[in-house]
This record gives sequence, structure tokens and C-alpha cells, in this order.
Amino acid sequence: MSIQHWWRRVALGLLFFVAAAGSDLAGAAGSPALKIIAVNYPLAYFAERLAGARARVVLPVPAGADPAFWRPDARTVGTMQKADLILLNGAGYEKWLSQVSLPRLKLANTSLGFQDTYLRIENAVVHSHGPGGLHSHEGLAFTTWLDFEQAGKQAQAVADAIVRKHPEWKSIVLENLETLRGELAELDAELKQTVAADPRRPFLASHPIYQYLARRYGLNLKSVHWEPEEMPPAAEWQGLQSMLKDHPARRMIWEAQPAPEIAAKLKDMEIESVVFAPCANRPEDGDFLEVMKRNVDALKAAFRQEKRANSVISKNPNP
Amino acid sequence: MQHDFYLAWRYLRHNKARSLILIVCLGVIIALPLALHRVLDEAERRMSARAEATPLLVGARGSAADLVLNALYFTESPAFIGMGEVDRIAATGWADPLPVYARFRVRGLPLVGVTMDYFEFRDLALAEGDLPALLGDCVLGAEAGRRLRLAPGDTLPTTPENVFDLAGVHPLKLNVTGILAKTHTPDDQAVFVDLQTAWVIEGLGHGHETNPRAGRADSPFAPASGDGVAYTEITPDNLASFHFHGDPAGFPISAVIAVPRDARASALLRGRYLDDDARTQIVRPSEVTRSLLQNIFRIGALFDAILLPLGIAALLMTVLVFALSLRLRQREIETIHLIGCSPMTVIRLVAAEIVLIACSAGALGWVLLQAVGVGAAEFVRHFVIA
Ligand SMILES: [Zn+2]
Repeated sequence: MSIQHWWRRVALGLLFFVAAAGSDLAGAAGSPALKIIAVNYPLAYFAERLAGARARVVLPVPAGADPAFWRPDARTVGTMQKADLILLNGAGYEKWLSQVSLPRLKLANTSLGFQDTYLRIENAVVHSHGPGGLHSHEGLAFTTWLDFEQAGKQAQAVADAIVRKHPEWKSIVLENLETLRGELAELDAELKQTVAADPRRPFLASHPIYQYLARRYGLNLKSVHWEPEEMPPAAEWQGLQSMLKDHPARRMIWEAQPAPEIAAKLKDMEIESVVFAPCANRPEDGDFLEVMKRNVDALKAAFRQEKRANSVISKNPNP
Repeated sequence: MQHDFYLAWRYLRHNKARSLILIVCLGVIIALPLALHRVLDEAERRMSARAEATPLLVGARGSAADLVLNALYFTESPAFIGMGEVDRIAATGWADPLPVYARFRVRGLPLVGVTMDYFEFRDLALAEGDLPALLGDCVLGAEAGRRLRLAPGDTLPTTPENVFDLAGVHPLKLNVTGILAKTHTPDDQAVFVDLQTAWVIEGLGHGHETNPRAGRADSPFAPASGDGVAYTEITPDNLASFHFHGDPAGFPISAVIAVPRDARASALLRGRYLDDDARTQIVRPSEVTRSLLQNIFRIGALFDAILLPLGIAALLMTVLVFALSLRLRQREIETIHLIGCSPMTVIRLVAAEIVLIACSAGALGWVLLQAVGVGAAEFVRHFVIA
């Protein structure tokens, strides 16, 4: 072997060693990165907060789409099969779950811990077929994380799932969980206090997604089924009028800022629009906690302003 | 010395037929017991390996051997348990449960319902294509793919194969998504589907024909009508309409492979199944397999018992053949004397002949043994396991 040859070998070996060490560092202190798939943004956010750089968290839902109405295609399922952990919201959130093939041992249903307190969606569609006759495919309310106590439990479930995969991360993950749960508890207390000031005050919701929010914080809430960008038909407005007779609400809670003409028409009826974003998908600005803080502030403002009786309109900064 | 062997060689060549018969007889006598034991060892090794790789097995109470054979070799299962057992095991936190549902057959091959964890657990790699992703997908074992001549992208219809199946199987067109690499285990012969697909085949789940005008589901999904057998086909268009009725905890599986976290978890889990009234049992496949292998060993011992006197008889025959040939060669031996050779030379000549024959027979036996060794795996799979 010539000297030149030998040197080339040594150099190559060194290069390889450096590359290996580099990739090792990338995997956070020698541990291999954990690949986590989350089916909605709140879970992705929890995972990011809890595992930090140790995990690669993927939200497979395209930006702008509502994860509750998204379904994975065969390719996405293939990607999910290769993940180490698949975080599910549960409460019927993943309606596609019985139509795809996923490794059960990698699934973590984060709301399983409080499954006996799931809420049902009323007026479930009834259909009939087969020898069984009439039956209904009842649905569950699934915006579980808008109850911040439940959100804390879901974060706990995410932490448990991560620690089960990497027991050596236990102390750091639990430390992160402590902080996160503290922040969620703060929001929880704030919202509780806000509603407690006047728990009987009637509110309207534009979309039936605030069931858990209403239950946890004692919000006197009735819901229509409107979309922020779609002018509801006349029948819906009439329905609202009759609803207002025994539920004289002055505020309607929206998932996003409603179209100006809807907001204007509501204002004519002396109903202000308040945005409480469920934040099911990654927000354009801020993170989950920031959006929730904005939500809580908006609701707080709504309570405050109404106390001052017919004062100025609240303008929510969050679209 | 060289001359002795040369003469012996010439003699054996001269009496080709006699020499060949002697060599073949002795060769077979040497190879037979050894080959038999090699096949038995191979069977033991394979069955033990499969059993060792399956720590614990939960299934319906009854024959432990049936349970192990069903879950490990996909033989017919006499009884089923509910999917709820999987959740119960998972809830203990002591073991990872892997459900197996081996009930139906497609074109003579076992149709096995599993969760996607099974492939990782058994180290089943893909030779081509992908794992099942959607309802109605299937992946074929290496041997199954070869025998059915199917490739990813092809379809495989499930059909009722016998009277017992008629009530159970709903004809469904399976989409082949991949072929697994060969593992020399019963997994090679299987057609794997997701558990949920297996339940659709059983009729526990179905789709609804959605009428775009009505905009809502109201009639059950009917197989496309046409001539001959009508199959349900799960397509991207009707996939979303598929759903299950009833309590998933009651959906059937034939066994649960339980992978305990450690020895303590294993002991705790086994303790939960001690109740005599329970409808389920937990077994250690390695123990059950050991008792199954006892039968194989008994067969081996029986063969040995037969082969021993047979071998002795054959040896006596060989001696007799030699003695007789010496007598026939009386004149030849006298000639050797007359040309001035000592009686010792005659003995040396005969000894050289025996050595040559013994060596040839040994070589033949070795070749036979190698041949058996190469084919042992196939042989075992066909005659011992399957
Ligand atoms: Zn149905």
C-alpha cells in the first residue's frame, strides 16, 4: 500500500467519523430523534413543547384545512406507518381511523383518559339499512382542547406516550409538562373567573364546536351552524330570531372573523362578533398558547364591555 | 500396498454390478438415520425459533396446541375471542398486544388479519411495494406471491371456499400493495390484511352507496351487479362510507401475541389468566411447542428402533456376499498361490477391496446427507409444519 493510498484512507475514515458524530449531535445528545405525527395542531404543539428538539413533529394536514374534516391518503398513511408515535385526539376526531391501516402500538389516543365525559353531538343523522333496522351514527363533540383542563390531560397523555418510547427523557419531558400545564391552568383559571362574574349571560356560537368550552366554564351558550365566510340563508336568520326570544344573547362567538356583511347584519340585531379560534390547524401567526390567550382576552373583553352597557364594539386582533 | 489397491480396484471394476449394489446399500444404510435426524433437528430448530420469537399467546380456552398452531402456523382455529382482550392487555401496561385473526383462506392460502405492528414484530421486510394502507389492501408473503403470480397493483378476490365459509365470507376484491421478502417461516405462505379488512370480509363492516343527489347515505353498499360472482370493491370513492356496526370489543380475533416488557410483567400477566372459569387462556408457545416436539422425537426414536436391526441385517448380508464371493473366487485365489504369493497377500487384497467399498459408500452417504440438508427446510415446511 502506497503512502498516498494510506493517507486517503485515513482522511476518509476521519470524514466518516466526523459525519457520524455530527448526525449524532443532531439527534439530541446521542438519542435518535423521535418521529411524531399529530393529527391536529394542539397535539403537535404539545409534542413540540414537551420533546423540544428531540422529536420531529409532523402535522400532515395541509395549511388552512380543518384537520377534523381531513383524511389521509394511502401515501400519508404510509408515512404515518413509519412514524414512532401517532398522536390522536380521540372523541371521534379521526373518522378515517377505521378505514386505514396503522400500527396500533404506535397510536396514542390523548383523550382516552376522560372518555367517559365525552359530549355527544345532538341531532345525529339517523339512517336505516340491513336487518338491524333504524340506527343512528351518533357523533361526539371533539374540540376537547377548548376545555383547558382537558387540554392539560391531553398534554399529559402526549408526555406519557413520549416517555414510553424514550424513558431516558422522562425528567426533561415531565419538567416541560409541568410548565405547559401551568400555563394552561392559568388560562383555565382566568376563563373560569371571567364567566363566573355573570354565568347566566346568554351567548351565541356560530358553529357547534364550543361544547367543552361551555361545559367547563359554565358558558350559557346556544349554537347555530354558520360559516364565517358564507352568508347564512334567510331561514337561518329567522331561526336566530326565534332563538333570541328565550336566549337574548348580545355576543356571537366565531371560529374566525366573520365576513363584514354578516358582522354588519348581526350588529343591526345588536349582536357583536367575538372570535374564539379553536386553532385546530397551525395558526398564521403565534402559537397555540398565544392564540388561546387572545381568545380568552376577547371573551374577557366581551364580558367587560357588556357590563358598560352598549359601549363600543370589540375588535378582535386575531382574524 | 499400491499394487493391492490397484488389483482390488481392477477387481471391483470388473464386477461392476456387484460393487455398485454393495456401495449403494451401505451408503443408504449410513445416510438414512443421519438424514432422518437432520430433518428432525431442522424441524425442531424452526419450530422452536418461531415459538421463542412469540413470548406469550392469549386465546380461547381449549387446546393449547391448537392455539399455538393457529397463531404461529395459521392453521384453522377452533374458537375465537373478542378484540376487547387486546385492549385489556394493553391497559395493564405489562405487555404489547398483537392481535392475529387467522380464520379464512384465499385460494388455499391462509388469509391473516393483523395490525401493522405485526410486520415490525416478525421482522417482515418488503421485497416490493408497500404495506397495506387503506381498507381492502393486502400484502402477500413471498411464497404466496409466487404461487398466486401476483404483483403490487393486482387484485385478489376472496371467495367462500367451503361450506363453513359460505356464511362468513363476503366476496371482496383485495388490492395487492406489496410482496414480503422470504423468511422461511409460515409468514411466507400468508396473505396479510389489516384486521379491519378481515372484519369487512366477515361482514362486520360495510360501505354505503351514497347517492349524490340525495346527499346522504341511506342504502347499504351493494356489490356491483353483473354476470357471475359480484365482488365488493373498496375504491377511493366509497372508502369514506365504510364503517363498522356493533361494539369493536366484540369483534373476533383468534389470538393475541403478548410481548411483555420484562420477566416480572410476564409473570403478572400470566397470573391474570389463572382463573379456571375464564373463557381465555394464556400459553407460552415455547412450552407448548416443546411438548409438540416430543411427538416428533418419539417418531424419531421409533425410526431408530426400526433402522437398527435393519442396519445389522444389511451388514450381515454384506458379510455374506463377501464370504460367498470368496468362495466363488477359490480358483482365482489358488492361482495367486501358484504364482508364488503368500496367503497374506490374499488377505491384503480382500482388505483393500473392503476399504474401497467402505470409502465409496461413505462418500455416497455424505452426498445423500448433503442433499437432504439442502432440502431439509422445504421438507420440514411441507411435512412437519404445514
Ligand atoms: Zn351502516
